[in-house]
Amino acid sequence: MTVPFNWSLALPEIVLSVCGLLILVIGVFQRKNASGLLCTGLAVAAFVATAVLVLGAPSGVGYRGTFVSDDFARFAKLLALTGAALSVILSLDYNGRQKVDRFEFPVLILFSTVGTMLMASSENLMTLYVGLELQSLAIYILCAFARDEVTSSEAGLKYFVLGSLASGLLLYGISLVYGFAGTMEYGGLRAALSDNAPVPAGLVIGIVFVFVGLAFKLSAAPFHMWTPDVYQGAPTSVTAFMAGAPKVAAFALLLRIMAGPFGHLAPQWQMLVELVAICTMILGALAAIPQTNIKRLMAYSSIGHMGYAMIGVAVGTEAGVRGTLVYLATYLFMTVGVFACIMAMRRNGRPLDRISDLSGLSRTHPLLALTMGIFMFSMAGVPPFSGFFGKLMVFAAAVQSGLWTLAVIGVVTSMIGLYYYWRVVKVMYFDAPEPAFDRGARPVGAVAGAMGLVTALFLLVLGPVTGAAQAAAAVLFR
Amino acid sequence: MITQITFYLFATILVLCAGMVVSARNPVHAVLFLILGFFNAAGLFLIAGAEFLAMILVIVYVGAVAVLFLFVVMMLDVNFNQLREGLQRYAPVGAAIGVALLAELIFTVGRLKLVPGVQEPTLPGPQISNTEALGRLIYTDYVLLFQACGLVLLVAMIGAIVLTLRDRPSARRQNISLQHARLPADTMEMMQLEVGAGTDALGGFIRPRDGYGATAEPIDARALPARRSDEKLGA
Amino acid sequence: MALSPRVATPSSEFRHTMQNLLSAYFPIAVFIVIAAGVSAAMLGGSLLAGRQKPYAEKNSAYECGFDAFDDARRRFDVRFYLVAILFIIFDLEVAFLFPWAISLGRIGLFGFWSMLGFLGVLTVGFIYEWRKGALDWE
Repeated sequence: MTVPFNWSLALPEIVLSVCGLLILVIGVFQRKNASGLLCTGLAVAAFVATAVLVLGAPSGVGYRGTFVSDDFARFAKLLALTGAALSVILSLDYNGRQKVDRFEFPVLILFSTVGTMLMASSENLMTLYVGLELQSLAIYILCAFARDEVTSSEAGLKYFVLGSLASGLLLYGISLVYGFAGTMEYGGLRAALSDNAPVPAGLVIGIVFVFVGLAFKLSAAPFHMWTPDVYQGAPTSVTAFMAGAPKVAAFALLLRIMAGPFGHLAPQWQMLVELVAICTMILGALAAIPQTNIKRLMAYSSIGHMGYAMIGVAVGTEAGVRGTLVYLATYLFMTVGVFACIMAMRRNGRPLDRISDLSGLSRTHPLLALTMGIFMFSMAGVPPFSGFFGKLMVFAAAVQSGLWTLAVIGVVTSMIGLYYYWRVVKVMYFDAPEPAFDRGARPVGAVAGAMGLVTALFLLVLGPVTGAAQAAAAVLFR
Repeated sequence: MITQITFYLFATILVLCAGMVVSARNPVHAVLFLILGFFNAAGLFLIAGAEFLAMILVIVYVGAVAVLFLFVVMMLDVNFNQLREGLQRYAPVGAAIGVALLAELIFTVGRLKLVPGVQEPTLPGPQISNTEALGRLIYTDYVLLFQACGLVLLVAMIGAIVLTLRDRPSARRQNISLQHARLPADTMEMMQLEVGAGTDALGGFIRPRDGYGATAEPIDARALPARRSDEKLGA
Repeated sequence: MALSPRVATPSSEFRHTMQNLLSAYFPIAVFIVIAAGVSAAMLGGSLLAGRQKPYAEKNSAYECGFDAFDDARRRFDVRFYLVAILFIIFDLEVAFLFPWAISLGRIGLFGFWSMLGFLGVLTVGFIYEWRKGALDWE
């Protein structure tokens, strides 16, 4: 009872949750057929207010060692809030046209973001688990949100069943860690494991299980199987959300526990993380080649990106963590942008998702084609777009630590990746044009354009982003 | 000694039940075995001294989750024999995973050694019950997680409603204000009838004058009798 | 034995508590034994005493002289599922109330408000489902 409780540390989370409750009540007292506009607007306002609070939040450990607020958590939370706000804005038009614009949509995204923020601030394995469940449960529901479509229900069910399995593995790992180390607090774990005494095998197995559970959420190979089906089946507005913020949070968690409490055991798990990173990069590059559906292509592309970002985890140094954080920031903006472009693909009121539907886009919608092209080149890692800097920092960290294999495989798979990204650009610029798309909504265009600008001109903000990532990474290695 | 015997008794039945859940032909039987399994797991918790967990297992899992499972099993029009077809093919994979998990477990327990410096967890003492010991922690030390659990339950609630609740055109909901606003003149009609004469001669009752629509949403008059006659045939 | 219920060697105090705990459940054990005995006697008795002469016609379902139309087990309406899952959620909420009620004297006002916050969240959920009409049947 001597440790201060530090109520105010979780103020952003509390404010966001209360906003969620209020929006739910407001939504349910609306007229039956009211559109989701009011609730969406309120949700965006709540995200902005929370982001302001996050920026001003004090640092420290609170709630009897279950919650921590530091630069690392703030970095991840800001990314998560940005991703959530952007995808809520994007969803408005798409859901309206798909006739699924119910007010629960922004509310669920909001609660999922609360879970994401809890994960980023976890200082205890229980916080990790509860945050992860809150986030995942909302996403399972969102995947099946278009409940009258078979693909959406299938996506929701698939993700739910496999996600529960992953949660089970995670819990099993957590209980093993607790059983052998006698504590679930990161600080206590770090202290208990810092002695040079031999580490019990059960503890290592527990760590592996925790890693597997998180790798599943990250869709790292070989736990990626659900990703293409779920990305394709879920409504695009949901895919845009789940490809961004939750991935960032899961990575933040992975970085925090691997570098923090389990940091002293790096020799034990480093090999495994390297292996998973290599598998993920190769699979993401090769499996994307035969895809004809743009949402599936993006699924494999996101698997590949998770592999690159995991290099930073495998390296396990401050430079590696910084690289991963910068990578995630660039990835978030690219992904939201790409999905904004995909949402603009619609002909005669029906959404399209084949790559061939993009044929000749440069003549029918030159601006859209240009934006999409920027994202494709950025994802491939072509300078001077943002994706290049993320890759550069991660590879540099690997080389610094002497992990040449990782860096070389990363460069090779990036080359392969360039091929399939280039294919999309080729279809847009050199194929015979298809009929024009429907008139797009203004917010979607605005988001796509803004993300395109961020991606293209990332060089201008590289300094501040790297600085913030550096400060965040430094927290883990104090 | 007694503890050992009860442990092995509960554990054996639990393992047998788990086997039956997977292998039972009739899905309803599988759920019933699951319930028996829950009871035995509760017994194991009791032996381990986790009284509260044992009771929660009975209240929540046996009382609610198993009922839900029964509903789901009966609700889904799934041909379970068809589902079972792949069993032969997938059994080796499943068995391999099971063996791997078991090996890990044995490996873990076999060389049981805690991280040095870890103290055995201390019991709260005989005068404090298990439930109270939990209560002293959940609502104060772990208040953040407790509230987050509340949010998880809320999201589950929203999810269940979002995914399954449909507006039924046939639904008749009570509209209390309309009921209060009704006047006797709207609903009652006085008729003078000759002895032996029916109301048909006077044009029949016109009640309800405003139809059922005033107090409730209309029911599809054509659909209802048809369904009734079907049921009669089936009975 | 490696798979004993408790892995570490228990202190004598722990063993003592366990004995007390288990002996408190002795009446329940007796109850279970009697219940099992009575039900086994009923089922077994009718099995032994009754004449068993089953044949196909006797075992088939009797349906007013018709052949059976379909399976006797009818599918449930999906609305049962909604009711059941809402019940589970509130059941879990109630489960949290037990330790709270017992330890309320110790955890003080903070614990009290902490539970009220929890109940408040679920009340919002309750308002939501009420307004949505999830609690109406027809």
